[in-house]
Amino acid sequence: ASEVSEAHTPDSDDIVVTPQSQTCPKADSEKMCIEIVSLAFCPEADVMADENIRQVYVEYKFCDLPLSETETPVSLRKPRAGEEIHFHFSKVIDLDPVEHQDRRQFLFAMLQAQNSDEGRLKFTVVSDPLDEEKKECQDIGYAYLELWQIFQSGKDILEQELEIVSPGNQAIQIGRLKVSLQATAALHGIYKEMTEDLFS
Amino acid sequence: MAEPESLVPDTGAVFTFGKTKFAENIPSKFWFKNDVPICLSCGDEHTAIVTGNNKLYMFGSNNWGQLGLGSKSAISKPTCIKALKPEKVKLAACGRNHTLVSTDTGGVYAAGGNNEGQLGLGDTDDRDTFHQIGFFTPSDIIKQLSAGANTSAALTEDGKLFMWGDNSEGQIGLKNKSNVCIPHEVTVGKPISWISCGYYHSAFVTTDGELYTFGEPENGKLGLPNQLLINHRSPQRVLGIPDKVIQVACGGGHTVVLTEKVVYAFGLGQFGQLGLGTFLFETSEPKIIDRIKDQKISHISCGENHTALMTDIGLMYTFGDGRHGKLGLGMENFTNQFFPTLCSNFLKFTVQLIACGGCHMLVFATPRLGTIDETEFEE
Ligand SMILES: [Mg+2]
Ligand SMILES: [Mg+2]
Repeated sequence: ASEVSEAHTPDSDDIVVTPQSQTCPKADSEKMCIEIVSLAFCPEADVMADENIRQVYVEYKFCDLPLSETETPVSLRKPRAGEEIHFHFSKVIDLDPVEHQDRRQFLFAMLQAQNSDEGRLKFTVVSDPLDEEKKECQDIGYAYLELWQIFQSGKDILEQELEIVSPGNQAIQIGRLKVSLQATAALHGIYKEMTEDLFS
Repeated sequence: MAEPESLVPDTGAVFTFGKTKFAENIPSKFWFKNDVPICLSCGDEHTAIVTGNNKLYMFGSNNWGQLGLGSKSAISKPTCIKALKPEKVKLAACGRNHTLVSTDTGGVYAAGGNNEGQLGLGDTDDRDTFHQIGFFTPSDIIKQLSAGANTSAALTEDGKLFMWGDNSEGQIGLKNKSNVCIPHEVTVGKPISWISCGYYHSAFVTTDGELYTFGEPENGKLGLPNQLLINHRSPQRVLGIPDKVIQVACGGGHTVVLTEKVVYAFGLGQFGQLGLGTFLFETSEPKIIDRIKDQKISHISCGENHTALMTDIGLMYTFGDGRHGKLGLGMENFTNQFFPTLCSNFLKFTVQLIACGGCHMLVFATPRLGTIDETEFEE
């Protein structure tokens, strides 16, 4: 049973504040936060003209996490020319060294794989058919976040715009995906831990 | 999780969500010894609580002196405003960076930012302590206060509405002035029963149930057809709502309206704050929020980009911008909600008061006697 702590500042001696929940917030080095903020399409992109594409969602794959936890919980109407649609879908990923060593390995592998596909976190923009349509979900764009760059710069990113490229031809930009990532503390912790292991 | 509900006394607790500055912005709760909240209000980053013993408590950002504590440092715990202790405080309203309070003797006091004269003191100097607005006399019994970005409003028991502060968009209803530092009466020739100041627009309801809007015309937040927007500096009746209006709440770019039967929303909904789904992100035509049609809504509140609805049996629904957890729907994973979403946290409580601010929300709730069938409320 948790006890109640009372604040005894001169002006608030009649306030009762309940203690913080037993699950203390994790240290920054043992978690990361990914936010899928918003997306927009280029006005001239094929997806804008494609009437089969009515609503979209965004997903990414992260180690053992099921997709149901790493895809935006809703699909939003396809943005119009010049419009941005806003998901504000943020997820904190637990990187506890005891329970989630696999996730730490997964991130370390990404840091090691500079300049190749494995070094990037890939976001997929998916067209979600309306309920009444009997069609399959379809990938309509990819966006990549270079984790090793964030690691090297030592700075978390806030609402960074990533190019969305066409799956068929990755040289064609079809839009912009805005994401935020708080992970530098964890990435540095992981790098230190793994490289120490290497030489010990 | 532990069972925090069991800790809450029968007299209830105030629950905090989002960037409150309280408890390091983690969802939390507190209560008063031998006292209960009777009025909650949230500004952009600060909060006011009036209690049944007529005390005023403040916390949050204070860079304009909006907490009225004689300093400009942020305060992370509800703190009693001792300077007002000889008075019996009845109401409080937080604007973006200022605060209004009224007392049982008809006094209206203001503190905080004053760049547009929103303190009603005849000048544009900021105040970090509460100053009485000389305009109001004991014969003015204040029924409601409201405050916007840099605007202020006081509604009297006999249905007179006074507004002051920023008028750059016509949001205090004056045609030719950019701001006023002294309250002026806003009238449409009949008594007014409800006022809400949004960030840059305002709305009121008359006792016979008509809705009027004025101020910044963009994004449909006045609920008026295009041809009427030219007169946005004067209150105009919103004809798109046929039923009798009871309350209105204005946010940053949206407006929510409670009628005898349903809830309407209009304006900007890019984060879901209209509760109208994932296909409509802006409307100037008032639309019924269908999803809660079978609930009886008793109170509405809008923050800058989010909305909360309270039902007649004390449940609550939130929607809009989910950042920082201000919708009260989770501990660390957040997302925008485009439909009204039941706050399951409060199934074991009866929600009594709700206030939404810039990036936060406060809820006063008491433990529920008896149980609610949870499944009944799930989609
Ligand atoms: Mg899927
Ligand atoms: Mg703000």
